[in-house]
Amino acid sequence: MSVPLGAFIAVSATLFFIGTAGVLVRRNAVVILMCVELMLNAANLALVAFSRRYGAVDERGSVFVVFVFVIAAAEVAVGLAIVLSAYRNRPTVDVDEIRAMKG
Amino acid sequence: MTLDFVEPVVFGVLAAGVIVAGAAVVLINRITAAALLMAFTFLCMAGMFVLLGAETIAAFQVLIYVGAITVLILYGVMFTPQADRPYALFFQKQTPLAGVVVAAAAIPVLLLSFSFVGAVPKPGGDDLPALATSVFVDFAFPFEVASVLLLAAMVGAIVLVKRDEDSEARR
Repeated sequence: MSVPLGAFIAVSATLFFIGTAGVLVRRNAVVILMCVELMLNAANLALVAFSRRYGAVDERGSVFVVFVFVIAAAEVAVGLAIVLSAYRNRPTVDVDEIRAMKG
Repeated sequence: MTLDFVEPVVFGVLAAGVIVAGAAVVLINRITAAALLMAFTFLCMAGMFVLLGAETIAAFQVLIYVGAITVLILYGVMFTPQADRPYALFFQKQTPLAGVVVAAAAIPVLLLSFSFVGAVPKPGGDDLPALATSVFVDFAFPFEVASVLLLAAMVGAIVLVKRDEDSEARR
């Protein structure tokens, strides 16, 4: 008895929407970055699961996951740099209080 | 005696870990605890990759997510010291609207996800040769673009957080 594909996809979708909710409702910029990482990771699980089930060419999904790793690393590095420089201008990481560029 | 029941049990434990720890990242007030729970979520996710037979991806997951990204996030937590906020100021004003939107998107997707009933093929193991062939032969150009992207991100991050020497001296 093995685990059906739908179970993996359901876990992936649940984690993705948890991350979406976190991005939408949290005020702390660092926590928002964490939630974006959760969403990227959920997408990775869906990619690997679908490529296991339907992949005609072996490991094609895993290649996309490797590229998502690269994007995630670049995103978190630049995102934290932006948060740190915003914190240096005004000592807050509350995204509601960072409104210098608000039109 | 067969050990067929082991795989669903392991999957259930890992799924519970992923979802509970992921929800706790969103709901917990202490930001350091949120970062460590995020690392735990990533570890459970690495276990899921092993269940799917993608051992190489699981190893990358532990190295990059649990190792590098968690440490970067913890640095971010360390460099932006802040008191724990009162729970009333914890969520943004648009929380009810965001909850409705997320639920409206999540319920159809979750219902749809259970329509995939086919079993995942048994992992064959040893996925590294096929992965390496794909990355370095079929996807060689995107691989090079990715390395340029990482270089650009590194330079950009350094420039963004570098203190301006002139304005520091003038102060």
